[in-house]
This record gives sequence, C-alpha cells and structure tokens, in this order.
Amino acid sequence: MKVLRDMALLFQRHLVELLRNPVWLVVGFSTPILYLALFTPLLKQLAGLPGNAVLDEFLPGILSLLAFSTGVSAGFGTIFELKGGVIERLRVTPASRFAILTGPIVASMLMMFVFDAVVVAVGVGFGFTVHWGGLLLLAVFLGILMVITSAFSVAIALLTKEISGFAAVVNGINLPVLLLAGVLIPMSLGPAWLRVLAHFNPLYYLVQSARVLAGGTLTGTAVWQAAAVLMPLCALTLGWATSVVRRAVS
Amino acid sequence: MNDIITTRDLRKSFRTRGGTIEAVRGVSIDVGQGEIFGFLGPNGAGKTTTLLMLTTLLPIDSGTATVAGFDVGRQPQQVRTRTGYVSQLGGADELATGRENLLLQGRLYGASKEQVMPRASALAGLLDLAEFADRRVITYSGGQRRRLDIALGLVHEPAVLFLDEPTTGLDPQSRANLWDHIRRLSDGGTTVFLTTHYLEEADALCDRLMIMDHGLIVAEGTPRELKQQVAGDAIVISLRQAAQDAPRAEPVVRREPYVRELSARDGQLRLYVDDGGTALPRLIRLLDDEGIGIRSIAMSEPTLDDVFLRQTGRSLREGGPDGDSGEQPAHPDHSQPEQQELAR
Repeated sequence: MKVLRDMALLFQRHLVELLRNPVWLVVGFSTPILYLALFTPLLKQLAGLPGNAVLDEFLPGILSLLAFSTGVSAGFGTIFELKGGVIERLRVTPASRFAILTGPIVASMLMMFVFDAVVVAVGVGFGFTVHWGGLLLLAVFLGILMVITSAFSVAIALLTKEISGFAAVVNGINLPVLLLAGVLIPMSLGPAWLRVLAHFNPLYYLVQSARVLAGGTLTGTAVWQAAAVLMPLCALTLGWATSVVRRAVS
Repeated sequence: MNDIITTRDLRKSFRTRGGTIEAVRGVSIDVGQGEIFGFLGPNGAGKTTTLLMLTTLLPIDSGTATVAGFDVGRQPQQVRTRTGYVSQLGGADELATGRENLLLQGRLYGASKEQVMPRASALAGLLDLAEFADRRVITYSGGQRRRLDIALGLVHEPAVLFLDEPTTGLDPQSRANLWDHIRRLSDGGTTVFLTTHYLEEADALCDRLMIMDHGLIVAEGTPRELKQQVAGDAIVISLRQAAQDAPRAEPVVRREPYVRELSARDGQLRLYVDDGGTALPRLIRLLDDEGIGIRSIAMSEPTLDDVFLRQTGRSLREGGPDGDSGEQPAHPDHSQPEQQELAR
C-alpha cells in the first residue's frame, strides 16, 4: 500500500501546483470552449446537419481531443522538472517509481474531467443531448487514453531530456494521430487506404466509441473494440514508462 | 574510524553518438563517519557521475559500492533511506512554500505528517529558513534556495549527505555562510560528501579530499598532506612584455638547477623551488641579466591548484573548455554555461 500512499502524496503535490498556476488554468478552460465555438459553425456548413446533430457528433470528438492533448503535453512539465532537479529529488527518495510516474497523471486527469464537465455543460446550452450512462463510460475511456498519452509523453521527455528533441517527437506524432482519428474531420470522407491506416491509431478507436457512447449506446462494437485496444496499451505504456522513470537522470 | 562509504574500482561509461565515454574509470574511496569529504576536479572529471552512482540514481557498470552498510547496487532502498542527496539543480517545488516542500519530502521518505512537522521546523531553524519558511520558494534568493535544498536532503536524518557543487553560483558571503552550516552538520555527526571545483572550498571545508580528473583519482589526502606533496615554494613571475619575453624567459629559467617544475601561461611563469628565499634573488638577477622586464614576482605556499597542476599538467583554474573534454551526458553542466564561467 506504499504505492498508493506515495501516489496520493504526489497527486496532491501536482494538483496544488496546477491550481497555483493561473495561466495554465485560463488556457485549460478556454481551449476546449474555443474549439466548440469555432468549429461547430464550420461543421454545420460542411455536413449540412441541424445544430443539435452536429454537436452530438462533434462534442465527443472534442472530449477525445482534450484527453489526447492533455496527455501528450504532460512531458513539457517533465522536461521543466528534469531541468529543475525535481525528478532527481523525487528519485533519490525510496518513493515508488510507479507513483512518481502516475501520481501527477491522476491529478491532471482530475483537472481534465473538470474541463470535460465544462465542455459538456456549454454543449448542453447549444443543444447537445446528454446520456448519463454513456458519458460515464466515456469518461473511463478518456481517462485511459489520457494515461496512455501522458505516460508516453513523460517517458519521451525523460529520454530526450531537451525541450527541442521532445517537441520534435511530439509534434511529429500529433499531426498523423489527430488526422487519422477523425476528430475534426470524419474518416468517412477519406479514401480506403486512409481508413485502413486509421485502424492502427488508438485515438481512432476512442473517437469511434465516444460517438457511440455519447449517443447513449453502451454495448456497440466500437465500445468493445476501444476497450480491447486501450486497456492492454495502457498497461504496456505504464510498464515501459515506469522503467524509464527508474533509470532517468538529467 | 568506521568507514561509512566504501567503493572499489567503480566504473561507468556512457555511449554517445561520438563513441563511448568512460566517465568514471576505477574509483576506490573510503570515507569515515562524520568526515567532510571532498571531490575536487574540473567540470566533466566524473565527480557528478560518481555521486549519482553512490546515491542509486545511476546504475553501476562495474565495481562495488557500500554506503551506510548497504550495497548500492543490490540494496538501493536501504541506501536511499540512509542518504540525502542535493543535486546542483536543487529541485524544490517553486510554487510551494519551503515548509510544504519539507513536509512532502519527509513523507516521501515514509514519515507521517506529525513526525515531519517538528523536523521541518527544526531544519528551518538550523539552516536559517524559519523567517520565510511559509513563503513560496519562487521568492527565495539564491542562498536561501540553496539552504532549503540542503534542508530537503536532511529531512529524513540521513547518515550521509551528498552535496553536488553546493556553493556554485552563490556570492562569497552566502558561500561562507553555507560552509558554516555544512561544518555544523558535520559536528552533529552527519557525514558530508561534496563535490566542488572551487579550490578554496575544498581547502577550507574538507577534512579529506580526492582530486579527480578524466574519471580517475589523481591524488588523495587531507588538504595539508596534498599541499605537502608539492615540496617547497611556488613562485609566480609576471613579465612586463609578456608576448615577446615569455618564450625567451621560459628556457632560461628552466635551465636553472633549483627549478623543479615550470609552467608558462598567459605571460606568467609558474615554478616550484625547494627554497624560495634563495631562489627569488637569483631569478631576479637572471632575468635582469637577460634584459627581461619583470612586472611582478610573488612567492606562495603551494595551493591545491599546485597539486592539481603537478598531477595533471593543467591548472584547475583554467576550468571551462579545457576541463570539459571528458564531459559525460549525465552531467547537467551542458545547460548551464554560466556555471563554467563562475568556475574560473
């Protein structure tokens, strides 16, 4: 139970740090709202759907995008901590290496859920239909994806050590993953080979299941597929990232 | 005296794009309980790498290391709970207060909040932090931050405290103040193992020290013993017209039978003689006969720099680029050029 205790301590540390950083809070809140405000009119034109239906399609995608980008950007903080000696300060203690990795991730996840709730609340104002059961299961999936991308991002940060190298890797991954997930533009618009390629993208499965779940269906094929892809991937990434934390030096 | 740190033939190399760098090439150390033990050497000598191995942060390639009675490789958790480590970078959370930092660190070592609170207050008192312990770290001065970093390394009452370049970047007053604190820790029974590239620091603070260069120990002893190895006196001659006279003066002086060692740099001749009192007038006469103008001539007892110079053929004060040739990836100096500047 030492792991849980260490996790709780490091969760608390990171949460306090997030809450004391006002710039981060403002950006965190405004980004998803901006997405909603700027993309919804565009999609209305594109799809020729009535207002409600567009948001029912688009809002789950926004939530998926938020989970992805929250996770991927986790490594920027890691680089900062590496440069500041924080990682070494934590690693020199007997604290669990798994907790050093996951404590902060869980804190960021909590913040992400708060932002998610704001997005849903705003969405409801513009006609998004809420299905509670589906949204709760979606929250679990969003959390898992966020853990995968966070752990990956932290590990890449610890391996590259420099902001330039890290940013290059992350930016290189961002574009294809986002494009092939059908978050902003539906994959059905693309040619067959693009759709085949999308099946190698974990985010694609999340986005597919997110649309189904937000529509209130809990047992669709997309939901099972997402679970089958995301859960093992999460375990693998956590295992790898923990071993990276075990070896990390600035 | 019981040895609290023992290493035998410790080695570490790193693979980089340029090939393999042997950062530490067979280091054997014995540090007694309660000593202030220093590791002196230029940047890239392998000091930090050795420290990272002893604190379990970096795996050991080969050789053995025992700290506080436990094997560093096989019993890392036991070593961690008995040692404190303060890196060059510090590592305190800037958005938290000093006290919050101390409480968290203590709890990460397994203590309860109730156990850590009095300890944090005691440390704040010991290191003169009490006044601003409840302010956020981001508002601290360099010296205040350094003292908090050290308090963080002490929060679990370790038997050994490792300090990596504890006074780098501090103004002289803060440095002297920190030396006092470190001496007080040692008086309280804590073994302090520090690295430094400041000669004065090693001389003033350390009970015993090792001089390291390119991953190897080149000399070992108390500061006094080391300086005695360089027998006799050091004489430094500055020439009036350095550029044209130095090449002329060097062979002339070198020919003198009483000159034991000589190095010429930046228009200065630095030489060692058995007896400075008789050598000084002879040197002045010699250079005068040759028509070489002397700007100044000074005699001094040997310093640790003389020891380093004798062992490695280079001056530790050259610091910077020359001393950096053996830079290892694990060394954070890459990102801190200002530290190398300060090392001069």
